[in-house]
Amino acid sequence: MVREATRRGVLAAVVSLPLVATGCKGIGALGTPPRQQPDVTVVRDAIDAETLMISRYHAVLAAVPALAGSLDPLLQQHREHLARLRARLIEPATASTPAHSPAVAASAAAAPVPGTPAAARAFLRHAEQAAAQALMGKLTAAPPSLAQLLASIAASEASHALLLGPGRTA
Amino acid sequence: MSTSIPALAAGAAAGGTRQAAGRPATPAAAVGALQAALAAEHAAVYGYGVAGAHLSGARRRAAAQDWQIHEASRDALAAMITALGAQPVAAAAAYRLPFPVHGGPAAVMLAAFLEDRVATAYLGVVALSEARLRLFGARALESAALRAAGWRGRTLAFPGLETAAPGPVASGPGASQPAPNAATPGASSPSPSSPGPASQSPPPTGTAGA
Repeated sequence: MVREATRRGVLAAVVSLPLVATGCKGIGALGTPPRQQPDVTVVRDAIDAETLMISRYHAVLAAVPALAGSLDPLLQQHREHLARLRARLIEPATASTPAHSPAVAASAAAAPVPGTPAAARAFLRHAEQAAAQALMGKLTAAPPSLAQLLASIAASEASHALLLGPGRTA
Repeated sequence: MSTSIPALAAGAAAGGTRQAAGRPATPAAAVGALQAALAAEHAAVYGYGVAGAHLSGARRRAAAQDWQIHEASRDALAAMITALGAQPVAAAAAYRLPFPVHGGPAAVMLAAFLEDRVATAYLGVVALSEARLRLFGARALESAALRAAGWRGRTLAFPGLETAAPGPVASGPGASQPAPNAATPGASSPSPSSPGPASQSPPPTGTAGA
């Protein structure tokens, strides 16, 4: 009896020892999500920006359906941006992401959208320019491969703005 | 025989992918990325000379303008490389074209192709850790993407990271083989709505050499 108890005590001590010895915070450390890395924040912001941009395109297309032919290819590329950015983010499904996107979408839906084709294109052109500029501002905070992705998306958005300029048909 | 002539694509493609791994910022990494960009600029200067010869009017003026931009970029890169204590790579005497260029449509496609390659090369500069160089690379990448969109009339989702749908490459051996116009089927069929590689031609084997 006594012997058994002692053996159990020793086993328990052995099991708990490595956790203490390695300075680990114990089992609890596995349950709490790690603190957010700076580049995670950068990716989150970029995801929000893309989500907002897609919402704007949807709002413009709802207001001016005649623009579908010229805007659909650009919208599709924003969806590709969003997918590529999301693939960069590995996080538990229960994380706070749901709180992100609906809020972003709601703010976009609330914003008024111009009703004429020319004004709607100008609206999107300015949004694209601002988005490209915002991404350029994040480059130095990102690790190299993420910086490449952000720079490429910024270049894509800048070229969207070019094609949305007056006198262009695309 | 044509293997000694560098392909227009070679320098840019190598530089862009090598830097993607993102190594720490050593002067060697910076020099390597800038040299790859310089090689791509050399190729662009050559290629725009070919493209411009097949264009007229506003397009010819646009090609001349872009050609000058690439010359200026080439000189700026050479100065940066020299400042880092390295010897700037020299231009090749001639480059193999990715596809035969015998008319306006192919010349426009060549210009867009050159810009794609330049964009890829500058993406290697974006991978550098030094903020100044990273931003320089990103701005140059953006400029190349804008010129490519101007030539192509459409945009890419990931300039520099992806290559556009392959152009109509028909003759394998390259530019040294004067191919008839019929050998470039896609050049005369614009079809702006279908960017996909719908043509029957396989990827060019002639430009595969690294």
